Amino acid sequence: MTPRSEEDTPGVRRAWGWVAHLLDAGTTPWRDWTGEAPSRGRVLPGAQQLELLRRLNLAGPPSPALATRVVEASAPGRGRPDLELAGAVDRLAFGPPPVDPADLPDDELLRVAAGILADDVVAAGLPDPPRAANRRPWARRYRVVGDALLADPVRAELVARGRPPGGRGSVILVLGTDLGQMLADAWTARSLAEGGPAWRDWLDPLTRHRTLPPRIDLVRAARAWSDRVGPERVRIVLDPTEIPRLVGVRRPLPGPPEISADAVDLARRVGQVLGLLAVPPRRRALLHETLLPRLVAAGGPQLVVPDEHADWVHTRAVRMRDALLRAGYPVHGDPDSLLPLGRTGVSEPSDAGVLALAMRLVLEEGRS
Amino acid sequence: MSKRVLLHVGTPKTGTSYLQDVLYRNRRLLASADILYAADRFDAHFLAALDLMRLPWGGLEAEAVGAWDSLAAKVRDHHGTAIISHEILATASRSQAGRALESLGHGSGTEIHVVVSARDLVRQIPAEWQENVKHRQALTYGAFLDQIQDPERKSRIATWFWGVQELPDILNRWSHDLPPEQVHIVTVPPAGGPQQLLWKRFSVAFGLDGLDLDLEAERANPSLGAPETALLRRINRAANRELPPADYRPLVRELLAHQTLSRRSRSPRLALPPDAHPWTQQVAGSWIAEIEQRGYDVVGDLHDLLGQPPVQQYADPDHPAERQVSAAAVDAIKALLLESARLRQSEDRLRHELQETQVALERSYLRPTYRWREKAVRRLKASGAGRGLLKAYRRARGRSSRPA
Repeated sequence: MTPRSEEDTPGVRRAWGWVAHLLDAGTTPWRDWTGEAPSRGRVLPGAQQLELLRRLNLAGPPSPALATRVVEASAPGRGRPDLELAGAVDRLAFGPPPVDPADLPDDELLRVAAGILADDVVAAGLPDPPRAANRRPWARRYRVVGDALLADPVRAELVARGRPPGGRGSVILVLGTDLGQMLADAWTARSLAEGGPAWRDWLDPLTRHRTLPPRIDLVRAARAWSDRVGPERVRIVLDPTEIPRLVGVRRPLPGPPEISADAVDLARRVGQVLGLLAVPPRRRALLHETLLPRLVAAGGPQLVVPDEHADWVHTRAVRMRDALLRAGYPVHGDPDSLLPLGRTGVSEPSDAGVLALAMRLVLEEGRS
Repeated sequence: MSKRVLLHVGTPKTGTSYLQDVLYRNRRLLASADILYAADRFDAHFLAALDLMRLPWGGLEAEAVGAWDSLAAKVRDHHGTAIISHEILATASRSQAGRALESLGHGSGTEIHVVVSARDLVRQIPAEWQENVKHRQALTYGAFLDQIQDPERKSRIATWFWGVQELPDILNRWSHDLPPEQVHIVTVPPAGGPQQLLWKRFSVAFGLDGLDLDLEAERANPSLGAPETALLRRINRAANRELPPADYRPLVRELLAHQTLSRRSRSPRLALPPDAHPWTQQVAGSWIAEIEQRGYDVVGDLHDLLGQPPVQQYADPDHPAERQVSAAAVDAIKALLLESARLRQSEDRLRHELQETQVALERSYLRPTYRWREKAVRRLKASGAGRGLLKAYRRARGRSSRPA
C-alpha cells in the first residue's frame, strides 16, 4: 500500500500546490489554500517546515535556495516528527494526527529554524583569529575567575594585549556582581557552551537546592583558590572599574556581552544541533565567535530572575556577602552590590521572540 | 557500490543488542562471506544514527560528528552485502530516512532491504517505561501510560514512544518506495518459546544461515523487576540534578541497573496493567491488518504482536511493596560501597605512586650539582651575554632544555 502522502489524491495535489506556492514566496495559510499541483518530490515536506517557510515569506522573503533548504530540512533532536497536513491526507489508525500548520506551537517551528541556523553557523566558519600581541614578561601576573560572562571577555582582551593569565605569584581576581545577574550569566554561559535545559527548567530546581552553580559561587571559588595559593593572593572584585588597576593596565577592559533573553535561548537551541556538527571545542568557538556577535547585535530585553524567586536570591546573596567578609578576602567594590538589584528585563525567553530572532538571522544569512 | 544493503531500523527491546553484539564480534567472519558490518566500535551504528537524526544524547553526540557519512561511505565502497543495525533509526523522519537511503545507494543500483524487528505492546510498553527510567526519567508508570494513550501524542515521551514503536508508521517512513518483498518484519516470539528462535528469525532475515557464527552474547540489555524500577525512579528524582550524565551512565545505569538490580530475578516483573490490555489488542490488531494488506515479507508470525493475556497478579511499580524496594536498595547500597572501596584502593595506589614520583623528583633536585646548575642558569639569564652563552650551549648540546 502506498503511504498516505504519496498517493495521487486531490488532497495530496492540493498540498503540493501549497508547496509550490510557498516556494514562490507565497504567504497564504494552508486552510485558505485551494490550488493544486503535481508532486515535485519523493514525500511531502512536513507541516513544520512548510509553516516556517510561510512565516519566512511573510518576514522576508527568503532566497530560492533558502526556501528549498527549509522544505528539505528535518527538525533535529527529540520532538514531534514531520507532520502531515490536515485535509491533505485522511487520519488513519496509526501515525501522528495530521495538523493545520497554523496551529503548530512556535517551539516546533523553532526546532527546524535552529537546525537551519546551525548549518549556517558551520558554513560561516570561524573568523580569523586576532593577531595576539607579543607577550609582556614584565606584566603583572593574574588570573580572573568567577562569573564567566564577566571573566571571559576580560581574559580574552588581556591575552590579546600580550598578558596571558597565570604564572608564579599570580593574583586571583574573583569577579562577581549582583546574584540575580550572576544567575542569568551562569545560564547564559552554559547555553553558549554545552547547552542544557531551558531557563526555568534550570533555575526552578536550583532554588530548591543548597548549592549554586560553581562559577558563580564566589565563596567556593575564593576558598578553592585560597587553598591553592593562600588567601593573601585572592581578591573579590565587585566593581569592574577596579579590574584594570588590579591587572596593571591603563586602557579599560570590556564588560559582559549584552545579549537578550531570547538570543540566549536561541544560542542554546542552536548549540544543541551544533553538538552533532562540530566537536566540543569547535562548537564552543562557533557559538562564541560566529553566532554571539550576531546575537549581541540583535539587541532586546535581557533576562532577570522572576519575582517569585526574589526572596531566595536575596537570602543567598546575603549569605554569600557575609561568608566572603567573614573569610577576610580583600573586596574591591561594595559588598552589598552582591544583593539583587531591581534590573529591568524579562523573566524568561518567549518562544515567539526566539522564533522571530531565528528567522531574522536565517534571512540575513540567506541574503549575504 | 554495495550490491545489497540490509538496513535494520528497530524496534528497541527486540533483541537488537544481542544481534548487534553477534554481528560486531563476528565481523571478520562475515567479511570472509563478503558481508560488511562496518564498525570499529560496538556502538558505531548508534553514533551514525545520532548523526543522521541530529539527536543529542547526553554528550555522546560529540563522538558522532560525521559518523553517518563515514558509515555510508564504507557501505558504498563495499561490493557485496552490507548490514547496518540500530534500533533508534526507527524514529527517523521521512526526510532523514530518505537521506539515509540515498546515501546508501538507493536509486543508484543498490538493492536496499529494510528490516524491522517487532515485539508485542504487552511487553514493549513496560520495557519502554523502564528504558526511560534507565535514561534518567523520573515520571511514574501511570503518567507514562497516560501520555502514550493520549491521541494527540504531543508530549516528548509519547512522541518518542510511538516514533520507535508504531510499526506501520515506521514502515511508512522507511520503506515508502521499496517493493514489499524488500521489506522484512521479524516478529519476536512469545516469552517461554524455544531458545534461539528469535536468532533463527534474524538469521533468515539477514541471510546468515550457514555461517558458523559465535553466538555467545557478551552484551545484553537486561530488564528489571517492578520494585527495582521503582527504586531507580526514586534515585533519579533524588540525584538527577547533581549527577552529571557522564557519571550517571557508569554508576546508575551500568553499576546499579544492569550489574546489580537486574540480578534480582525473583522480584515481581514489570508488566502491562490489565486494564490497558484491551487497548493494546485493538492497536496491535489494526497494525496486523495493515501489514497483511501491504504484503511485506514476515519472518515469524504477525500474531506474535498480540502478546500474552493479562497478568493475574499485577505489581504496580507506582505503589510497590516497600519491603521489596528496601531489599533492592540494600543491594544497591552494597554495590555502591564495594565500588567505593575499589575506587579508594585505586586512589590509595595512585597516591602512593605519586608520592614515590615526588620523592624521586625531590631527590634529584637536592643533588648539589642540580643546585649549582640552577644557580648558574639563573645568573646567566640575568644578562644579555649570559643568555647568548646559554643559547650557544644548548645548541651545541643538541637538544632543548628550555623551560616549558
